[in-house]
This record gives sequence, structure tokens and C-alpha cells, in this order.
Amino acid sequence: MEIMQNLAMGFSIALSPYTLMLAVAGCFIGTIIGALPGLGPSNGVAILIPITFTLGLDATSALVLMTAVYYGAMYGGRISSILLNIPGDEPALMTTLDGYPMAKAGRAGDALVLSGVASFVGAFLATVGLIFLAPMLANVAFMFGPAEYFALYLLAFCTLGGMASNNQAKSAMAACIGLGIAMIGVDNSTGMPRLTGGSLHLYDGVDFLVAIVGLFAIAEVFFFIESHGKSSSIGVKLDKVRIPWRDIYETRWTMLRASLVGFIAGILPGAGASLGSFMAYMTEKSIAGKDGGFGTGVAKGIAAPEAGNNAAAGGALVPMLTLGVPGSGTTAVLLALLMTLNITPGPTLFTDRPEVVWGLIASLMIANFVLLLMNVPMVKVFVKILMVPPWVLLPGVTMISFVGIYSLSGSYFDLLLMIGFGALGYVLRKLDIPTVPVILGILLGGHMEDALRRAMVIADGDFIYLFSSPIAIGLWIAAIVGFVAPMFLRNVLKKPQRITD
Amino acid sequence: MKTRFMKALVTSVVLGLGATSAASAAECIAPANPGGGWDFTCRQIGKIMFDIGAVDQPIQVTNMAGGGGGLAFTHVVSERDDDADLIVAASSATSTRLAQNAYAGMTADQVRFVGAIGIDPGVIVVAADSPHQTLADLLNAVVADPSAYTFAGGSAVGGFDHMKPLMLLQRAGLTDITKVKYIGLDGGGDAITQTIGGFTQAMTGDMSEIVGFLASGDVRALAVLTSERVPGFESIPTAVEQGFDVVAGNWRGLYIPRGVSDETFQMWAGRLQQVADSAEWKEAMTANGLAPFTLVGNDFQGYIDNLIVEIRQMSKDIGVIQ
Amino acid sequence: MASDRIFGLVMAIVALAYIASATQIQASFLSDPVGPKTFPIIIGAVCALSALFMVFKPDPEPDWPVLRTFGALTVAVIVLVGYAYALKPLGFLLPTAIAAGVLSYQISPKALNAVLAGLGLSIGLFVLFKYILDLGLVPFPKGMMG
Repeated sequence: MEIMQNLAMGFSIALSPYTLMLAVAGCFIGTIIGALPGLGPSNGVAILIPITFTLGLDATSALVLMTAVYYGAMYGGRISSILLNIPGDEPALMTTLDGYPMAKAGRAGDALVLSGVASFVGAFLATVGLIFLAPMLANVAFMFGPAEYFALYLLAFCTLGGMASNNQAKSAMAACIGLGIAMIGVDNSTGMPRLTGGSLHLYDGVDFLVAIVGLFAIAEVFFFIESHGKSSSIGVKLDKVRIPWRDIYETRWTMLRASLVGFIAGILPGAGASLGSFMAYMTEKSIAGKDGGFGTGVAKGIAAPEAGNNAAAGGALVPMLTLGVPGSGTTAVLLALLMTLNITPGPTLFTDRPEVVWGLIASLMIANFVLLLMNVPMVKVFVKILMVPPWVLLPGVTMISFVGIYSLSGSYFDLLLMIGFGALGYVLRKLDIPTVPVILGILLGGHMEDALRRAMVIADGDFIYLFSSPIAIGLWIAAIVGFVAPMFLRNVLKKPQRITD
Repeated sequence: MKTRFMKALVTSVVLGLGATSAASAAECIAPANPGGGWDFTCRQIGKIMFDIGAVDQPIQVTNMAGGGGGLAFTHVVSERDDDADLIVAASSATSTRLAQNAYAGMTADQVRFVGAIGIDPGVIVVAADSPHQTLADLLNAVVADPSAYTFAGGSAVGGFDHMKPLMLLQRAGLTDITKVKYIGLDGGGDAITQTIGGFTQAMTGDMSEIVGFLASGDVRALAVLTSERVPGFESIPTAVEQGFDVVAGNWRGLYIPRGVSDETFQMWAGRLQQVADSAEWKEAMTANGLAPFTLVGNDFQGYIDNLIVEIRQMSKDIGVIQ
Repeated sequence: MASDRIFGLVMAIVALAYIASATQIQASFLSDPVGPKTFPIIIGAVCALSALFMVFKPDPEPDWPVLRTFGALTVAVIVLVGYAYALKPLGFLLPTAIAAGVLSYQISPKALNAVLAGLGLSIGLFVLFKYILDLGLVPFPKGMMG
């Protein structure tokens, strides 16, 4: 019954008019961000973080707004998939396979509504899963000492790095770039600056927001310059929107199964929403068999990936909130948000800041209903927004990024750093080196080193201490498996081209 | 199309905002990002000063993060040295870093410390199942075998939380304080969790950090580092009454530029005193776990000078500075 | 092929330089068993190893843009750097209009559109940030508005 009590507390926070308004606004912005090609949940959330900050929102409100954007973007991604055959973001890639054919067949409205409903089912079930699973994991707080934390961070790098690229050496290098940057600044264990080159600007280290906005948003601008914004063209016309009850009823089991698959994929650190939608689609395809007609515009082919990726988005919050280990690029960005707000996600979050956690969970629920309402009757509004040409959109994104970062510190130095990260992001992505491990390195590098050094202080330099508990040993094994397994699984699970989520 | 997009952004990002801060006479620099202790100091003091009529225009808060407060300090010394309308939030972190020469060669006498109007008392706590019942128990055990004990605290090595057990252990007769093991975590909450989990043997921190854990019964406070017992926590004995003469707390206060007149210094000291006496501030203190500690004007400057001498010596002893 | 090799080589050199500067980190005599140097050195070593792996086992060559596009990218970077420097002394409106206009032109080379985008974005965003989000932006250089 404790869950019910906590949930009631959460709703009492989330149902305040102000928070509710934030949730609605977040859903709306998020849907737009998800729908626009080039903007996905991770860079959309990244751009908005500094702005949230200057708004002076408290922790819960900021979190409500950002997760509403996050869920909204997961919904919005399907719109351009279906209408333009361009995924608005990476996880929506699978939706193009059946969504676009269905739209071409003159059923664009049906496809949009059906995918909206599937998104709702996926996200709803995942939030329920989060409610039940998260508190169980929260009790492990007191079992995590420095040795266990070190193994945990190692696990995060091994799995996320392993999944994010076809080439383990490139993942490892990307992680090292991030870790190396994280070392800059005052060394937490001696209180003395390191690797700053004497610059006072670097004394506090490199702000991870600067890195995130640079790597995601500014790099995206460079890609658009390269393609001259050609990727945005009008696809299918949308006439009338009706609710296709028959399709929804027929796909009920598909939605349930896809939600389960997606949720599990989301919980695994490193898999993320892209894998969730991919696995959900493939599972349903193999269940339907050759007669299922997958790829020709069938209802199940739309319902499965949408339920899957939204469930994965919810699932990815489980390791992020309870362990402080992000399950995807976007949750890595949300992790950054939490840290900026002086909240350290991890085993202690549920006991230290219950109002944050339960307020968040309640607002996820609310956001989900808002999104359903917003995405079914109002889908035409979002379709219009898709027509913003890239030559307005991308400069706009750049300027918002600049002002956001500038308002954080008021220093041009951070802006230059951000441009540098943008150029780095462009080169890295060109060379198929994943950028998510870079972010992860910057975010977790300091913590990882601290954990190692704390463990060594306690143990007087005895390395055996790192393997001294069953939890630590289990995490080490998981880390090794997580790094090695993708090398073999890669051929089985041929992953989408690049994972930005 | 563009206007539509903008309108969408605008309408949805317009979310009830705080009062617009007009250009105002006085400015308070919080040398950190919003959300921390310095930011709290600026916003609370600024708000109360305006509310009780000590200043006629609202005080504008500027966040200037960087260098652990060093960027703001440098800015004040080099660019605003005679600005009579400038106050800057400070705490024991400021004096500790000045004592340790962490502000790139800047020294405490380059600004004037106006006063402190509240303190977060230092505490030493152990897990509820710890065998140590009194502060003397713990300290004597550490003196006997330093390698068997690790302290956890919320500040970095050489920071204020680290200094507290060192000062205590010096009084307890430990000669080589470099033997004491300390790990710095990200805040007091983490430090307590590690102590409850049994990974470290004791936690050193501030009263505000342990209130929740005291209530839940997970930890036992062995001592509070104030001269008198803290109102509301009368059951916790002070270190002084247990025979260890250490008083240490995280004070919250202000400094102003060096180049202003004595009248300006006294004016700000007077305004700060008014805030300290206000009912609003007392409310803010209770809500944030602060204990009363008011010291303004020249008395405070003297307190800071002594504090810096002691921290500097201690830092030299443990080798944080040469 | 060549790109991976070149990048790998560059990263290997960067990693070695990183290790070299890590050895220069000062340690106080109250150091923990690990010390402030160890972790950076390990990172540098892993990075160098991965970089060398890239040199010897490169992936297929990515699809690099033509030289002219590189020109456009360079212009974009220069404009952004200039924008970063200009934002404080020149105020928000003018640098934003120019930078947004140039970027817009780089994405889609139509002069009229670029001018419209530059003007629209600088004014639109200024209104958004200044009056709605209440950020402390300065519209013009200080001298002009007093």
C-alpha cells in the first residue's frame, strides 16, 4: 500500500495547476521537437535544459517539464515517419516501414491515430512498470559502497558503449574522450586543479551542458549545411482524421506484447528506445509470419514499433532513476539535468527525494494522457509545423543554443567550447564514432574516478577490495558480458544506422 | 510558417514566471549557479532587505559561477573595487579556500567581510549500530588505530568537512593527522548513506544534512560543534562539553569590495543586522536547518581573520598547501 | 580507410600528450593510494590503444562532402566563433541577424530567404528571450542606447 500512498503524494504535486501547465507545455514542445527532422528527444531536451534553468524552476517542475518533453518527443517522432518517410528521431525509424506505405495508400489519418494510441499504450504500461519496479531497486542504496559504484559505472560504459557502435574500439575511444574531458578541473580528492592549463575558466571543469548542446545541436546544424537541408520534403497529404476502432482492436495483443518487449529493452542500460522499437517490430513480424504483410502498411506494423519505443522510453527511466545509470542518450541528458539541479540519481534518490520521484512518475502518467488527447484530435496542428523549412529551423536552433549556454555562465569561453564540441561531433559522427559515450564519459568520469579512489582509501590500496562483495562481482561480470556480447549479437540484431537516442 | 513555429514556442514556454527584476540600486553576486547555498543567501537576504525596507529597490541577484567562487572574487577585486552597491554571498567555503590560497593568489584582505547571520552547525555522526557511544569513544579508537577508520564527508579532501575531524583528533592527542582516512562525497546525504551502509565508520557534516536521518533513527549524532547545544536538538551534546574544544559551522554571510568607505561598510553591516533580527529570516533559518549566529561589522572581520589562520595551519599540516 | 587512419593517428598523439601532461599533475603529500595521476594516465592509455586499433583496422571510408561544402562548413564555424565574441560587446540583435542569415544561406542558398530568416529570428528570439523568458539580454551596443 506504500506505493498507493506515494503515488497519491506524487499526484498531489503533479496536479497543481502550475505543474500541470508545465506538463501540457512540455508535451506540446516535445511533440514538435520529435516531429521535426533533425531534432530528437536527446538534442531537444539538451537545448531546453539551460532555458529551464534560467526560468528558475525548482527541481520537480524542471523534471516534470523535461520528461513531458521527452515523452512528447517519443510521440512526435512518428509524425514525420508516417508523412515524410523520414524518422523525426532515431527510435521512430521502424515506424516508417509500415507507416509510410499506409499513408501513401490514403490512410495517413488512420496511421497517425493508430500510432498515437499505440504510443499511449506503450508509455502507460511502462509507467506502471516503473511504479512497481523502481521502489524495489531503491532499497539497495545501502548496499552500494565505493567498490560497487565503481563496478556500476564500468557497467554503464561497457553496455552503452558496446551497443552504440559497430566498432568496440571506436566506442572505447569515444568514452575515453569524455573521460579525459571529465578529468579537467579541480580534483575532488585533493582539492587541486588538474589539466586546466592554468585557465580559471576550466577550474570548475567542462560543463556537460556545453558538451551536450555542442555535440547534439550544433553538430546537427553542420549536417544540415552539408545536405543543404534537402531531407525535408512534403510527403503525403493528410485529409480527414477519424478513429480507426477496428485497427485499434485488432492490434491490442500486438500493443501489449510490444510494450513488454520495449520496456525490457529500455531497462537494459545501453539499449534504449531504438532497440526497443526494433525488437518489438521484429518480434511481431516473426509472430505474424509471411502472411502478416509487414512492410506493406499493416496496422500491426505501426502499432508494434510505436508501443515498443514508448515503452522503452519509460523503461530507460528505471536504471536512470534508481542506479544513476542512463539507459539511452536521452536519459543521459536527463541525468545531466538532475545533476545540474543538485539531485544525484542513484540508490539514494527514492529515500532522499521521494517528492521528486513520485512527482515525476505522476506527471508521466498525466503527460501520457495529455499526449493522447493532443496527438489524436490535434494531429493536424503538428502536421503543419512540419513545414517549417530547415533554413529557418536550424539557425533558430543554433541561436537558442547560444543564448541558452550564454545565459548559464555569461562567458564567451563556453560558447567557443560549444562550437568546438559541435565540430568534434560532426567529425565523430562522420567516422561512425558514437557520441553518446563521450557524453557519458563527461557525466560519469569524475564519479567513476572518485569511486575508485574512495575504495582505495578505505582499503589502503588493496585492489581485491573492488571485488569484495557479491554485488560488485555481479556487476563486473555483467560489464564484461555487456561489452563482449554485442560483438557477437551484432550480426543477429542488425542495428539501425546510428543511434542518437 | 516561421511565425507559427515561434508562436508555438512562445505560447508554450510562457509559464508563470517570477517577478521581473528591474534595474536596481544594489546587486548581490552569488558566486555559484542557482540552487546552492550562496544563491540561497543572496536571494533570501536580498528579498528580506527589500521587504523590511532596509533598501528601497529590490536587490538584483547575479549568478557568477566559476573557480569555486574564485571567478566572482577576482571580478570584485579587479573590476568593482569601489562599488558601494555590491554585496557578495560567502560562507565557510569562501574562507577555507582563501586560507588555502585556492583563489589564484587572492587574499582575504582584498575584500571586507560584512557579517554572518546564520550557521549550519558541524556534526559528527555514526551509524545507529556503531559500537561508539560518545565522541571520546570514537576519537580514542581512531587515535589508537587510524587505519581502521574512515570518515565520510560532503566536501573534497582539504575542505571544511575534512577539517572538522582533524581539529577534533588533534585535541584528542593524535600527532600525525595525515594518517586519518577521509573520503569526500557529493554532499552530506551520500556521506551518511556510506556510513549507514558500513563502508565508512563515521560521517562529518552539517546539521541540515542529517536532520532527516536523525528522525528516521538510522544514525546517532555524537557531537555538535557549537558552543551551546542547538535549539531543537538539545539531546545532542556539544564537542566542547565533552572536552574537545572545537567550534565549527558553515556560516552564511556577505563580503563587499575593499575600496568602499567605512560608512558604506557600516551601512551594510546595519542592514544585515536588520535582516538577522527580522521574523522572516528566523523562518527561513528554521526551514533550512540553520542555527542562529549573528556577527556583523568589525567583530566578524576579526572572526574571519582568526578562522583563516587556523585553517591555513591545518592545511599545511595535512599537506593540502605548501 | 584513410580517414580512420588519420583520425586514429591524431587521437593517438593527443592521448600521448594527455598522458604527458597527466604526469605533471601536482600531488599533495596527503595523497590517497591512487593519486590524481593514475586515472588520467589509464584513460590516455586506453584511448591510445583504441586509436591505434583504428589505424590498423579502419572501417570503410565515410561519405565525405565535396570541397565546396567544406568551405561552407568552415564559413559556418567562423561565423559562429565571431558570433560568440560579438554577443557581449555588440548586443543581441545585430550579431544574431547576421549569424542567422549566414547560416540560413549556407543551408539553403537563397539570399532573400536568408535575409528574412536573419531578421525574423533575431527579432523573434529577442522578444521571446527578453520579454517572455526574462533573460537579461542587451539589444544594442551600450553606446547606442545609453
